[in-house]
Amino acid sequence: MNRTVLGAGLALALPLLVVLFANLGRDPHAVESPLIGHAAPAFSLSPVDGGPAVSLASLRGRPVVLNFWATWCIPCIEEHAALASAAGRAGNDAQFLGIVYEDEAAQVQRFLQERGKAYPSLLDGDGKTAISYGVYGVPESYFIDAEGTIVAKFVGPLDPSTLEAHLALARGQKP
Amino acid sequence: MIPLLGRGLILLALLVATVGTVVGFATGGRPSAEGSAWTRRLAFTFAGLMAAANAVMLYALLAHDFSVSYVAQVGSRSVPTWVSLVSLWSSLEGSILFWGLVLGAYIAAATWANRNSHPEYMPYATAVWLACASFFSFLLAGPAQPFNTVFPVPLDGPGPNPLLQNHVLMAIHPPFLYSGYVGMTIPFGLACAALFTGRLGHGFIRPLRTWLLVPWVFLTCAIVLGGWWAYEVLGWGGYWAWDPVENASLLPWLTATAAVHSAVLMERKGILKGWTVTLVAASFLLTILGTFMTRSGVFNSVHSFTQSAIGPTILGFLAAALIFSVALLATRVDTLAPEGRLEGATSRDGMFLLNNLLFVLLTFTVLVGTVFPLVVEAVRGVRMSVGRPYFDAMAVPIGAALLFLMGVGPALPWGRATPEQTRRVLLPPLGGAALAAAVGLLAGARSPWTVMTLAFGGYTAWVTLSEIALPLRQRMRAHNEGPLAAFVEANLRRGRRRFGAYVVHSGATLVIVAIAVSSTMGISKEFTLRTGESAGIGAYTLTFLRTEARDEPHRQSLVALVAVRRGGKDIGTMAPRMNQYERQREPVGTPDVRTFPLEDLYLSILNLDADGGTLSLHALVNPMVGWIWGATALMAFGGIVALIPRREGSVALAGAAATVVVGAAAPR
Repeated sequence: MNRTVLGAGLALALPLLVVLFANLGRDPHAVESPLIGHAAPAFSLSPVDGGPAVSLASLRGRPVVLNFWATWCIPCIEEHAALASAAGRAGNDAQFLGIVYEDEAAQVQRFLQERGKAYPSLLDGDGKTAISYGVYGVPESYFIDAEGTIVAKFVGPLDPSTLEAHLALARGQKP
Repeated sequence: MIPLLGRGLILLALLVATVGTVVGFATGGRPSAEGSAWTRRLAFTFAGLMAAANAVMLYALLAHDFSVSYVAQVGSRSVPTWVSLVSLWSSLEGSILFWGLVLGAYIAAATWANRNSHPEYMPYATAVWLACASFFSFLLAGPAQPFNTVFPVPLDGPGPNPLLQNHVLMAIHPPFLYSGYVGMTIPFGLACAALFTGRLGHGFIRPLRTWLLVPWVFLTCAIVLGGWWAYEVLGWGGYWAWDPVENASLLPWLTATAAVHSAVLMERKGILKGWTVTLVAASFLLTILGTFMTRSGVFNSVHSFTQSAIGPTILGFLAAALIFSVALLATRVDTLAPEGRLEGATSRDGMFLLNNLLFVLLTFTVLVGTVFPLVVEAVRGVRMSVGRPYFDAMAVPIGAALLFLMGVGPALPWGRATPEQTRRVLLPPLGGAALAAAVGLLAGARSPWTVMTLAFGGYTAWVTLSEIALPLRQRMRAHNEGPLAAFVEANLRRGRRRFGAYVVHSGATLVIVAIAVSSTMGISKEFTLRTGESAGIGAYTLTFLRTEARDEPHRQSLVALVAVRRGGKDIGTMAPRMNQYERQREPVGTPDVRTFPLEDLYLSILNLDADGGTLSLHALVNPMVGWIWGATALMAFGGIVALIPRREGSVALAGAAATVVVGAAAPR
């Protein structure tokens, strides 16, 4: 046993592993959105299956989860179940909204018929809403509190626990 | 059907690799011809299964079978066929699958090459290879499964990342990178085998060196191809940014280059066995670290894959491999006793040592700079990045020192040199140094580092060219041959390894000089031009002619046509463009680069207004950048020449062996 080699090897390897491990799960893509802490950009968009337009202003008083998605986006398909069940649990305590990003209404409708529709998905025809929120790619989710302020943004597919944690922020609870 | 077949092949590969690992280690401990044969068979079977799984994926990509999750994720009906092919490695799961293919090919080749030799080492080596193969099969079977079933089957997919569709280099760079990265598994297995058996005989240094040099050549090309891709595609005008992922590919290259050199000393003098084995292990471990860095999502980089669930799994493998390597080295390194010793410090041997120290120092520097942001974030929760100034402050002096050493080392004799000898060999190349520095000063070099790099480059070029000429001159004198015949006989037929090494040195000298010149002596300007307006940069006058819209199946482009004149002479039209890919919101620019013998003219669109009448243009004159690509080809060529096997019993081998025998017999 060569103690020098062992000591030097461990002195190098262990700190490296600790640092890498401590950073696991950190998401360098979750760049702090400049919108966090500010009023959510207003919109008024029509649901994909028809009916009156939904405006953000009309939802004041309840937390809102705004999910930008598309049927061609695999991570969006992955997170669909988590979103649908969380929306079901939240009931009237929070409003979930999908905003369709660069997709066809017909495809979205077929998707929602097959996979279940738990909350309205809105058509953002000219992409203005996505631009005003600074959406870079789908899926992206914004968590808006009852006063209409954006409290968190998440890039990538949501899993149930992340979703709950972010929703708690929007409800005004400390994480 | 296809998803099922793919998953089946991967599970079989996992089974075969795992069994092979066990059989290999068992045979290593209790050697038997039958055990060795079974280990080899399992290695070949693994390679076959991986090839089949990749073939199935390729078929799915080309047939647009969107029921396969990976195809649904990266495939698209609207992309050209070559993009569909390249999609095999353009995204995370596919890249791991492709990794499996390359690993299988390497294992099969190395097993085949040594099927009749080194029976005491090979079972251990194969066992280590197949252990790595088991890990990657496990990744494919679980966390990075590319063959998941998608239902309902989408009609079309988004296509790969537009930056990857933008240039054909993206079809070439990743295979080279994987061949470099994955290939480091082979020398690692051989080094482990040496440690397990407690022997590293002279005969075993050869396969170790060969299998180290093969991935080294690939990695050299890959690093530069990556830089070239960045240069031709990203549009900021540079080729290297000390991005974590770029560093990830550089780190194993640095240790592998050090190992290639220490292996020479090991072969010549019988020393540095433990050190060489450590460097080889480090090169492998750094490739795994690099894999973690590119695929965990922990590092923010233009090149990395998006974050994924496989980060923890790769970190687990890295931890296991690190601890395994440290434990194996600590317990077994003392069994690799030196057979000789180092004589004088002012000798080629001494310079080899110094070279190794500098390479290791540079590795540490880059590693610390790459990981430091993570330390800061973990401790203080602040996001930061280590920028160019840190890396340049460290890498420039070390790089310059290595360049100088590349001249001094080969000039000095082996063993011991008298002061008189030292003067005689070290003074004449100063002529080359003075010449290169003078040329640089005349051409306008003002940065002291650039002038110094040029001087060191001239010094090293002088030594390298005289070393290439030396056997040629001897041969011309002794056999009365013409220069060409003597060159073929002395450098290509006999001293290939030596010649190859000096060709690599020539290429490396040019690369370092070109990097120094291009990063300090360029011109960069930004203009806003309306149609018909002109602007000047360096010797060039640029005139914005008009905008053209071009439609291709997978993208629409706006092309700005810019007429270029140099010294009043029309030298054609350049066409930087903005590409709008289907289903991607942001347009992606493609610069246009015109290469002249001494410099590149580089045009990249900053902004093109909607009606195409006003163009904001970033123009650069980049001296000597083209030389980097050419000189790298020279390095790769040198590496390949050095790899061509020697005829058995040739003069050079007998000489080297004799040195070791004498070294071993010398009284301590």
